[in-house]
Amino acid sequence: MKKILIILILFSANKLSFAVDQSSTIYAHVNGLVCDFCARALEKTIGKQESVNSIEVNLTNKIITINLNLGKTLDDYTITQLIEDSGYSIRKIIRE
Amino acid sequence: MFRLSPLFVLCLFFSIDVFARPISYPGGITLMQMNDTNKNSIHLHYSQTAKVSLGYKFEYWREKDFSINALQINNLLKRWNKKNSQANLYLKSAIGSACSDKGKLDKKVNFSGFIGLSTDWEDQVYFIEYENRYTKASKIHNFFKQSMRFGWAPYKGDYGDLHTWIMFRFEHMTNSNQTFNFTPHIRFFKDVHLLEIGANLKGKINLNYIFRY
Repeated sequence: MKKILIILILFSANKLSFAVDQSSTIYAHVNGLVCDFCARALEKTIGKQESVNSIEVNLTNKIITINLNLGKTLDDYTITQLIEDSGYSIRKIIRE
Repeated sequence: MFRLSPLFVLCLFFSIDVFARPISYPGGITLMQMNDTNKNSIHLHYSQTAKVSLGYKFEYWREKDFSINALQINNLLKRWNKKNSQANLYLKSAIGSACSDKGKLDKKVNFSGFIGLSTDWEDQVYFIEYENRYTKASKIHNFFKQSMRFGWAPYKGDYGDLHTWIMFRFEHMTNSNQTFNFTPHIRFFKDVHLLEIGANLKGKINLNYIFRY
């Protein structure tokens, strides 16, 4: 019975960690984001990363929302580099 | 079966001038149909990085009746990214050949090239741009051209919305029958498509189209 309980707890914890990964979202505040071509550039450059599930660009707030794939990560250095390679600069990165 | 889009065909027949950013994101391809009261042109370029693009340029200068086929390189010399605005300084240069269809120069082919600077600033409401260029086509035609453009957007849109700009362009060109030119026009911008429609004071219709892939 004890073993079954441990297995159940471990399984639940594993599920929980999946849930956290699944909702892993990054908000990057970007400088120089003024038009649809800028938005397209970021969408294409960041969107083709293996760890990225989807990306949304908000021109009004100058924020790009990066939704990561299950169990994947994207560090701040890589995000900064991708945005700079696209021709823009980063103001701040917030993780959820 | 291959079909030409009616919009593309229209772009080939009407004229205006457009200068959207001449460099895209790394790996991006852009088709720019750029004309003014003097010329029709097509520029297809590939951006290796966000600082350089390489492409083919065709221009047909109506008044002097000659065309240019060239390899064009655009360099982003400097970009200023601010929270709500962006400014750029570009160097545009090309090398190729010019072919005349006019009078005693008929069928004459010369070396040709041009070089110029372009700078712009924009937020989502205001736009300002200055560009110059010196073009050399040896015995066919040599000239210097410069232009300024101002734009105003009556509303702010988000990515994917239809953006509308009201724009005014002033142009000066040496060795031309029409030294000065003023062209009011409207820019429509949505997603990867940019369309400009206008007319100069003599009523010459202007139409531009840019597609970025």
